[in-house]
Amino acid sequence: MNQHLQQAGLKLLNALSRHAELIMQVYVSGTLDESKHTAKVIEGLCQLGILWRPESDTQLRLKSAVRNLLESSLHDERNRQIDANIGSALASLKTLAQHYKEALYHNRYAEVDAHLSDLTEHVYALTESLSNSVRVLFSRINNEFGYVASIDAKIRENELAQSQVSELLNQLELFRFDELSELAGSNRELRHLLVVTLQHSFSKVIQELSIVQARLLELIGRFREFKGRTQLLKGFVLHMEQKPDFSPVNYSQLSQVPMLFNQAAALIKPAAVDVHRIEHEQDLQQLVGAIKAFNRSTTAHHPERAAQKINVEVQSAAQFAEDKLRLAVEAYFCQVIDSGKRLTALDYYQQHGLEFDPEVWIYQVVGGYQGLSMEEQGYFALDTTGEPHPIYTGNYIIRDIELGLR
Amino acid sequence: MITEQGRILELLLSGAFICQISDEEAWRFLKNSGNSDKVEAQLNILNRTLASAAEGDVFFAAYQSLYDNERKQLGSQFQEISSQLMPLVEWLLLVQQANGSDVPVTQGTAIRLNELQTTIEDTPAFAEQLEKISRNRLFGSTSTQLDGQLKLVFNRLTQLGYLLKPNAEKQIFIATGKVEYLYDVLKFIDETEALSLTEQAENAVQQGSLL
Repeated sequence: MNQHLQQAGLKLLNALSRHAELIMQVYVSGTLDESKHTAKVIEGLCQLGILWRPESDTQLRLKSAVRNLLESSLHDERNRQIDANIGSALASLKTLAQHYKEALYHNRYAEVDAHLSDLTEHVYALTESLSNSVRVLFSRINNEFGYVASIDAKIRENELAQSQVSELLNQLELFRFDELSELAGSNRELRHLLVVTLQHSFSKVIQELSIVQARLLELIGRFREFKGRTQLLKGFVLHMEQKPDFSPVNYSQLSQVPMLFNQAAALIKPAAVDVHRIEHEQDLQQLVGAIKAFNRSTTAHHPERAAQKINVEVQSAAQFAEDKLRLAVEAYFCQVIDSGKRLTALDYYQQHGLEFDPEVWIYQVVGGYQGLSMEEQGYFALDTTGEPHPIYTGNYIIRDIELGLR
Repeated sequence: MITEQGRILELLLSGAFICQISDEEAWRFLKNSGNSDKVEAQLNILNRTLASAAEGDVFFAAYQSLYDNERKQLGSQFQEISSQLMPLVEWLLLVQQANGSDVPVTQGTAIRLNELQTTIEDTPAFAEQLEKISRNRLFGSTSTQLDGQLKLVFNRLTQLGYLLKPNAEKQIFIATGKVEYLYDVLKFIDETEALSLTEQAENAVQQGSLL
């Protein structure tokens, strides 16, 4: 590399780095706002071939070489350009290979080296441009043409990409490996470059392109479907606006009801927990646990429970109603004491015309006698008249009782 | 324990639409022809058959043979579907337009209510459209607040099975296969009544209609 070329290259790169902000601004916005920069800077950039003016009355733009450099380094998806000029690249490869072989034949080794490095450069440039093209296509597919908004635009983008793929495939057909291998002959370097490297890149690109093509077809199918659906919806709205009274025929009355409108009614209602199954105990417990008890009285008004005036006064002492039978027995005892004579219970009964059952009376008299304390019992003498039971021994039937004082 | 088959049978008999979004396991189960034959045999006992729509995206139970009662049921059901079409279509268009991506709502489309609300609030035309939709008998909103209208519409659509709310905490809805069913219904009506809806929409675009 001669000194002059190196100097010029450094100058260009330095200018790029010095004016990086300006260049990025032009890259993003497309054109340069000349009022913001001095004429000298702009002039310099134009001379270096970084900026150019397409026509005399238009604004300054970035040179495509600089733009391409940025696009490929930044993986910018706006880059839709695909370099499909493989034919000419191949032709130049063939020419260079012939130069190389001729130089080799004449033993001009300095030239041989130059031609070989040139050839290597071209071969790698070609493989790079191929893989770059595929990468560009992929990056556009991967975000489903996200850089355009409407479905129609996406469909157009998809069509562009498809035409680019088929163009690329057509160009790839220009690869004639038999010719290339013939050209390389037995030369090891040439064979490596023209056959091995190119073939490797070729097969890789072909394989990726077929994937790209499949994805593109799939995407366009989806976009068309989206578009169809959107149009269906919009068309329906339009139709309803034009004919508001439109209603479709009731298809359920046709002899053959379309499956779409044959929707069976719900049959199953939610099941309940079975209290007789142990497996359901857990669920049942949860249900019971979820029960909330509300102790609100539902009957709102009780007149009898309303607040009332209460007169506080001394309550009359409750009288214990004495048993008449007991009183009569006491009176009988008292008469015996008063008179001091013996008197049978039944005689007393008849004298006073008592109303009780005689048997009950006698029983009560016996009870009354036995209810006295032992000391009191000692004052009385109680005799019973009666007879033993005629059949069952040990039983004594009391007919009457005679009470007297001791 | 109920078997998978029993669970699916129960779903079908309770009138559910089974799709990949609403119940992926059940949907995969029915996709298997051996399994669907078994379910079909059980459904047949109850005069039902396994039906699918949207190219097998959605399964539901249909009547096997139709008698007077079944026809009556289908007739009222059809009335319901056709009366719901217009608000549903308008809703689908609203969501599609407000989404900004121009992509129609399909099975699996996630709708973030907050984002949608922001867009609708910022665009008076959308807000008007939403108000109109929410006033429809299907939704029956009386709210004057955009927030209330939107929530009501989305909750009602979740009830009807068009949407699914995977997380009760978050306001994110996912469209189910029933949306696909809706498109199928529209396509069917379009074809049967020879409405040529697609052409109408195309013409309107060419004539520069506001749509």
